[in-house]
Amino acid sequence: MKVSLHWLRRFVDFDLTATELAEKLTMRGFESEVVSDFDALENLVVGEVLTAEKHPDADKLKLCSVSDGSETFSVVCGAPNVDAGQKIVFAKVGAVLPGDFKIGKSKIRGVESFGMICSERELGISEEHDGIMVLDESHKAGTPIKEVLGPLFNAIDIEVTPDKAFALSHRGIAREVATIVGSKLKAPINSVKLNPKSKDVISVELDKKGGCTRYIAGTIKGVKVGPSPKWLAEYLKSVGQKSINNLVDISNFMLLEIGHPTHVFDLQKLAKPAIKVSWAKKGEKFDALDEETYELSADHMIITDTKNTVALAGIIGGIDSSVTDSTTEVLIESAYFDPVVIRKGSKKLNLLSEASRRFERGTDPNAALEAFNMIVQLMQEVAGGALESVITDECSMSLDNTSIDLSFEKLLKYAGQEIPSKDIESILRGLHIDAKKTKTGLNCSIPTFRTDLKAETDLIEEVFRCYGYNNIKSSFNYSSIMQYANDEESTISSLKHHLSSLGFHQSYNNSLEDVEEVKLFGKDAVSVMNPSSERMNTLRTTLHSGLLKNLDYNYRNGSANTLIYEYGTIFEGKTDKLKDIIQKSSLSCLVHGDVFSKNVHFDSIPASFAFLKGVASNIFEDKRLGIKVEYSEQSHHYCNPYFLIIDGKKQVIGGLGIIKDSLLKQLDIAYKHEVVVLDIDPEIFTDYGSYSTKVEDIVSFPIMQRDLNFKMDSSIQVGDVVKTMKSVNQSILQNVIPVDIYQSKNDMSSKDVLFSLNFQSPKKTLEDNDVNSIITEIITIVAKKFNAKLRDN
Amino acid sequence: MSLDKTIKGLKTSFSKELSKSKTSQDLENFRIKYLGRNGQLASLFEEFNKLPAPEKPRFGKELNILKNQLTNQYQNALGSKSEDSTSSNIDFSLPGYNLPDGNIHPLEQITSEIKSIFQSIGFSVAYGPEIDDDYHNFEALNVPKHHPARDMQDTFFINPNAVLRTHTSNVQIHLMENQDPPLRHICCGRVFRNEAVSYKSFCLFNQVEGLVINETSSFAEMKGTLEYFVQEMFGKDTKMRFRPSYFPFTEPSAEVDIWNSKLNQWMEILGCGMVNPNVLSNVGYDTEKYQGFAFGMGIERIAMIKYGIKDIRLFYQNDKRFLEQF
Repeated sequence: MKVSLHWLRRFVDFDLTATELAEKLTMRGFESEVVSDFDALENLVVGEVLTAEKHPDADKLKLCSVSDGSETFSVVCGAPNVDAGQKIVFAKVGAVLPGDFKIGKSKIRGVESFGMICSERELGISEEHDGIMVLDESHKAGTPIKEVLGPLFNAIDIEVTPDKAFALSHRGIAREVATIVGSKLKAPINSVKLNPKSKDVISVELDKKGGCTRYIAGTIKGVKVGPSPKWLAEYLKSVGQKSINNLVDISNFMLLEIGHPTHVFDLQKLAKPAIKVSWAKKGEKFDALDEETYELSADHMIITDTKNTVALAGIIGGIDSSVTDSTTEVLIESAYFDPVVIRKGSKKLNLLSEASRRFERGTDPNAALEAFNMIVQLMQEVAGGALESVITDECSMSLDNTSIDLSFEKLLKYAGQEIPSKDIESILRGLHIDAKKTKTGLNCSIPTFRTDLKAETDLIEEVFRCYGYNNIKSSFNYSSIMQYANDEESTISSLKHHLSSLGFHQSYNNSLEDVEEVKLFGKDAVSVMNPSSERMNTLRTTLHSGLLKNLDYNYRNGSANTLIYEYGTIFEGKTDKLKDIIQKSSLSCLVHGDVFSKNVHFDSIPASFAFLKGVASNIFEDKRLGIKVEYSEQSHHYCNPYFLIIDGKKQVIGGLGIIKDSLLKQLDIAYKHEVVVLDIDPEIFTDYGSYSTKVEDIVSFPIMQRDLNFKMDSSIQVGDVVKTMKSVNQSILQNVIPVDIYQSKNDMSSKDVLFSLNFQSPKKTLEDNDVNSIITEIITIVAKKFNAKLRDN
Repeated sequence: MSLDKTIKGLKTSFSKELSKSKTSQDLENFRIKYLGRNGQLASLFEEFNKLPAPEKPRFGKELNILKNQLTNQYQNALGSKSEDSTSSNIDFSLPGYNLPDGNIHPLEQITSEIKSIFQSIGFSVAYGPEIDDDYHNFEALNVPKHHPARDMQDTFFINPNAVLRTHTSNVQIHLMENQDPPLRHICCGRVFRNEAVSYKSFCLFNQVEGLVINETSSFAEMKGTLEYFVQEMFGKDTKMRFRPSYFPFTEPSAEVDIWNSKLNQWMEILGCGMVNPNVLSNVGYDTEKYQGFAFGMGIERIAMIKYGIKDIRLFYQNDKRFLEQF
């Protein structure tokens, strides 16, 4: 909300620049930024345009000579309205405009320019940027701009948090400023007794179901629509608003003055001078002031003239009953609407207005009457009308202050230190809260404009923030609080570091993807009802999709070798019901290209299926986890082949596969080698405990190694042969490793496989005799089962 | 003793002959003669085996010393002769193996750093669901259905009653529902906001939030905890300030800024406050007895400040040229 210092001074005297005020308010909980602080702007003066001629080299530019009272400068200006004789805002070389815009000497289309003639937008005054700002002729060239524009246009922008409804006006902010500088709040519009001219009574009927619990109405006749007086236009201008006409301006002014929205109907356009508050019919069409037609629903509160809908309560007026240039009689509404009703209504139509913003945050029911009185007075003053009817005030709500007990003990317990009660009382007084001493603390009477103060802790916050958060001393002695700090993901964290040291990059991919792409991965996906874009409307069902995008991106950017992994949540759901949605942590690796590229030392080592299988066994068969894994081939939606990784308890703990070309083509992934993925179920790390190590005795007897070379059919899986060999003896045959495979080009139907067998006994040094019988048995079984012949080499 | 003499003789002839062996072929012949399987040293050991038992300990020791001496002499000679060997053609100027260089993602690094700072002062780490019901994400946290505070967090809906969590505070509710005070936890993970993607905002980000509930934890303790964190994270001399703010789930609420001396401005890094009693009573805690504080911060924001990253999207692009810098 833009707040003008000029306007604030209607309510409170203070001696702070915009920058100082912004800082002070920020530290009070009103985050503020300076919009324009003319006191801080150097090298900005009133300039006089002596000549304005066409730029020799550009049709739309003008070449001006500008005087600062003592010197004349040549300035190039693009504004269509610049003309000789004007007094303008001249930013000299060296000036810094709002937004850190530095003015230097420049060359524009070959002509040197020494400074700039400013528009209102460049000065932070308004959004006006079609032309330069023209000043009153009476200003003398050379006068510093802070003297000319400062008093009117120094302004800050405050981000008012949703709880602080009371601060959505200049009076609201001025109350805060008054407590900061310790001065009194002024009342610029004195409430005088309003005397109606007639005995007419406007009938107002509230709905029994609530929604509107106070409605004040009255009529004014004899108004004359015309331009606003200067003071009124200037206040609006000081916050960047244009003056439209006196009636509209009064309404806008009142909103920013005290923050209570009012509405003005053209009385002659109402069916009857009567108001009935009720609820819209479902599907009812409503033509609003913004020239849009809205379809209402049954929970929209409406204002009717007993016949037609004339306003959408608290949100926007109707166009048919709005004031125009020919309006002479008006009906004024000042009401209290229920925040939830307004919030729901405005959300449903996605229609936010200045009025709805205030009503949905909670307005002051007492301000309704205040606003009504003020607006009548202003109309009489500015638009020449007079109050006609008796003021109707239908009210079914309490207008009294509420009360909250503040206990000193609680305050102490919350703060962790003593705050002097003298300070507490003075803080509360500054906030217009009457506090009476009780046995245990204070009984506080909360003014109705503080709709945010509902509980004791709300008051504690008021005390803290006015006392100053930075005045509360920190007191935490962390070494005295020892506690066992647990992190169930610490083993996953070790795994991540392990993968990274193996050469993998860790990826973080978007969880939201394009539904069309997600579908290709063949799982039941969960979609978002209100996506921000179609490309991000569905949750990922696998980490592969993101990893493939990373492969594609890096490949297209010159890096074909990819070793990458991600740990994150994936989602599946048969329906969008929470109970049907499975969300689980997942870890996947993807490799492509080479682990080692070809170099002077050796040929390339591809990041192949075998590489990733090695990574899998490196992880799972880590002695500390001690999982014995098996691979079981299974058909897969987009991998071929795909192997489930199964542990000794027959649980699936992962998977390993090669992504099908068809998927890569559909997704338009750039690749040239096989793309291999490894999935690891992170739960195994919790299931298997956190790496409990049991040390085995080291066997000191020597290993006896034997080689066996078999010729076998090409189609035989070497893994099966290894398994068979191992099954022959489990006591001293420690390991069987295929060390070489030879495939003759002349005979593609068979291959030679060299196996290395390690024997070791924990009890004694093995002799040939101990091993020979086992070797013989292996040869026999392998020959029989695989029709393999032992080769003697 | 003849064995004594033999040992001495062997030592002398070994040294003499070794000094005469020039080429690698000489050395190999020499090795076979003295140190080979049937060499002179081996035959000495054979003789040793025939000795009577009482003499064995002394000679055993001497023979072992001899064996070590001779082997060392031979190895030294072999080393000094290496300019003759064919292996001297190694080009030591060649680059070493280009070992693959992996990385931990910068967001993970920052998260780990934050986790370990808080773990060092007794905070456990908790995790929870990314899709949650409206109750755990909003209502239990004192954000009723039709409250303007809902606008503070643009929300992705899965169905009218389930959302992609907008903060990890839902984990705090789950924690408190399942556990009685005292609590001292941080929660971390992904959160989602329905915001337009640009250099400064993404549709999701990572958060770390903390929660401390017991009978005494005060605003002063919250300040002390977060000062400790900021100093550990950004350096002992970091200037910081607490400024009043508003969050529905805390009262009083504050935001913490740290001073950026490069940009000459305050930068907001986290939000915090005393847990609103409404939140505590929603999970069935006795609000007369228990109180505490909560805080939360965005990892991306901290990573951007710490590493000088200007575009948040870089974290999710996974460009190797970016990742390799961490």
